Amino acid sequence: MTFSPELIAQSIITGIMIGGVFALISVGLSLIWGVMRIINFAHGEFLMVAMYIAYFLVARGGWDPYATLLVTTPALFLLGALIFRGTIRPILGHPSMNQIMLTVGLSLILQNLALVFFKADVLTTRTEYTRMILSIGPVIIRVPQLIAFIGSALTAFLLYWYLQRTDTGRAIRAAAQNKQAATLMGVDVQRIYLLAFGIGSATLGVAASLMISFYYTSPTVGLFFGLIAYVVVVLGGLGNFLGTLVAGLIIGLTESVGAAILPGSLSRVLTFALFILVLLFRPQGLFGGKRA
Amino acid sequence: MKLRWNVVAPLALLVVLAGLPLFATEYMLHIGVLVLLAAYLATGWNILGGYAGQHSLGHSLFLGIGAYTSTYLFAQIGLTPWIGMWVGALFAAIVGWFVGYLCFRYGLRGPYFALVTIALAEAMVYLVTNLNALGGAEGLDVRWVGHNPALMQFEGKTAYYYIILIMTALLLFGVQRYSRRRFGYQMIAVRENEDAAEALGVDTLAVRIRALVISAVVTALGGVFFAQYYTYINPRNVFGEGPSVQMLLFAIVGGLGTVWGPAIGAILLVPIAEFARSSLGNTFSGAHLLLYGVVLVLVMLFMPNGIVGLVQTLERRRRGGRA
Amino acid sequence: MSELLQVRNLTKHFGGLAAVQDVSFDVNKGEIVGLIGPNGAGKTTTFSLLTGFLTPTRGTITFAGRRIDNLKPHVICRLGMTRTFQIVQPFPEMTALENVMMGALVHHRNIDEAQRRGRNTLARVGLAHKADTPGRELTLVEQKRLEIGKALATEPQLLLLDEVAAGLREAEVDVILDLVRQLNTEGITLLIVEHLMKVIMNLSQRIVVLDFGQKIAEGSPAEVSANPLVLEAYLGKEED
Repeated sequence: MTFSPELIAQSIITGIMIGGVFALISVGLSLIWGVMRIINFAHGEFLMVAMYIAYFLVARGGWDPYATLLVTTPALFLLGALIFRGTIRPILGHPSMNQIMLTVGLSLILQNLALVFFKADVLTTRTEYTRMILSIGPVIIRVPQLIAFIGSALTAFLLYWYLQRTDTGRAIRAAAQNKQAATLMGVDVQRIYLLAFGIGSATLGVAASLMISFYYTSPTVGLFFGLIAYVVVVLGGLGNFLGTLVAGLIIGLTESVGAAILPGSLSRVLTFALFILVLLFRPQGLFGGKRA
Repeated sequence: MKLRWNVVAPLALLVVLAGLPLFATEYMLHIGVLVLLAAYLATGWNILGGYAGQHSLGHSLFLGIGAYTSTYLFAQIGLTPWIGMWVGALFAAIVGWFVGYLCFRYGLRGPYFALVTIALAEAMVYLVTNLNALGGAEGLDVRWVGHNPALMQFEGKTAYYYIILIMTALLLFGVQRYSRRRFGYQMIAVRENEDAAEALGVDTLAVRIRALVISAVVTALGGVFFAQYYTYINPRNVFGEGPSVQMLLFAIVGGLGTVWGPAIGAILLVPIAEFARSSLGNTFSGAHLLLYGVVLVLVMLFMPNGIVGLVQTLERRRRGGRA
Repeated sequence: MSELLQVRNLTKHFGGLAAVQDVSFDVNKGEIVGLIGPNGAGKTTTFSLLTGFLTPTRGTITFAGRRIDNLKPHVICRLGMTRTFQIVQPFPEMTALENVMMGALVHHRNIDEAQRRGRNTLARVGLAHKADTPGRELTLVEQKRLEIGKALATEPQLLLLDEVAAGLREAEVDVILDLVRQLNTEGITLLIVEHLMKVIMNLSQRIVVLDFGQKIAEGSPAEVSANPLVLEAYLGKEED
């Protein structure tokens, strides 16, 4: 194995690109935690659903991969809102264990329904973007990854702007900080929760459309991305928006650089090792978080 | 009366179960082993999840440690699993202590603890997949040496059935006994109100860690049985999310923090799941997991205290109605 | 009289704010000492510092001749100092008897012994008839009694009561007052935080007054109630 500077540079670039997507995938999970102190353990499966939607639009409908945003984003908002309304809202006041187990149940249902409908096949798309590359010296940037990175950054920025600058965004943040105070200020907390869950899920719709050009789809794809999201949110500090973004990049870099210098899928072990180290020394996350 | 019922019913059940191999088919015995193993593992999970109130989503971590330790030791140095199981239990205890200390020291619990445990178990999947010494993704075989009780290998299923029956009976007996002792009360106190427990002299950190270590040891011993029974293990099927979810599912469906709940959950669900798997498995491989998911969601929505909890509530209502 | 508890320059900062600032006082063996002050004066924070739920930023706490300011609450409880909580903290799924048994289990590992002592303690706080009722089903008054019962069952030398009379009716307050006096005659030293002046003035042999986290007065009930600083602190806070 040779650690050429080119290889390292290449893996850093790839890591940043992928890290952006990781950040986008995690930000919704963090938002939902911040607002209602719930970890959606079906988060990865929501992404999987979005990826199937995007896949079929591209592979069967002949859509441009990025045009699928127009469907995946509202579809995931709807999925999140419906699932919140139907299953999570009724048990909001219950012990956190009940909410955890409920979402674990949802993840099993979604994963295995996907198995029923789509079999265990790994589906990939070949779009016009798939093979496009930019070369900067010895370093190659895959265009779909670059688009995904830019798209993720843009979405995260939009979400941040929305939370900081709009009335509804402020209401969401108020509900996150103090539910009672928010209620007193006339914020309809139930509506905010629904909205937050919807938005948190909708970000996965965006992510799916951005990823479909270069990432495969399968019933268990959510397992992997769900875990990445858990690691990222803990690393960034649960409920910490900016921390989550930075942590996404860190994990992207760890995975990518790790893959370049370690054999097999040991880079994944590196990611988890990082996770454990953070727990050991900074359990509140690298950038502080909101505890239950 | 109450006390006698508590003793007689389990003993009667034990006698019936012990007599089962006399007239059961191999397939029935196989189902029996699956039910008992599930009951055993769920009961082990329940020590930490039900009594001490710390919900691990990655208990397969300990299942895998047990299974891999005994299998590896047998393959490499021919150590009998009867001894290997205790080595596995020791490893599980050490890992359990470490995980518990890491998490509970800073008060990581609830969703946080769930996240950490799931991540640790998943990390092991990837780690073991990349370790050629442990067979990588292919996993390890327990080499068949013929019927040899000293090496925990048996012709037919009867002996396995009795082993897991004894393990489960001992575990249930232990839980029944210790849940009514000092440590049992301390676990419940920690679960119910940590500050109050601490104020009353309970070392809440130590109690949590101890519950985790005991639960880890029990689970690891179950993992050894798992390996011997199936004679094959791989990273996904022992460290993966499947075993973790099943352990907690049966405990939750039956009733968290109750002696019999996890066993009842396993008795009810495993046969149905096996039926689903064997009848639909060809066309639809996730049938039993889909069923588990639906059950988990419904139980959380409509009877979060599980079957035993529901019975207790009805009982109380009935008594209350009469008074 | 010998000091059971010595508090010296106790200070606790939250962020930049001093919740408790340089507070010193003693509690002697056999005394009932009252800790009073307007809302937000730092009484409950002081309790949490004394019992190890918070770590002091500065200062020392000595209990029975031993420094305890870095010990955990359960250790402090075992040494003989137990607190109650202002907001009652029952174990909701445990019966009243089991709740109290949790206290008894500190010094008695045997369940039967703990149960026997638990029953006695329940009787003392007037809950014998509720032994099998789950904690969450008790009324607030009963939960207040249970709160005392749990702490009492740990057989403390020093018992810290945080507003045990708050929210109770007149007759119930009297019952609690009698109980506290009774405990004192049995040799238990008490440090009590209380909002009701009647309770504090009635019970305490000595009173420590806090305001904005600082000690502003100390003395007998008569001295304290005549102290202009104390009057000002309370009158200035008339809104609560």
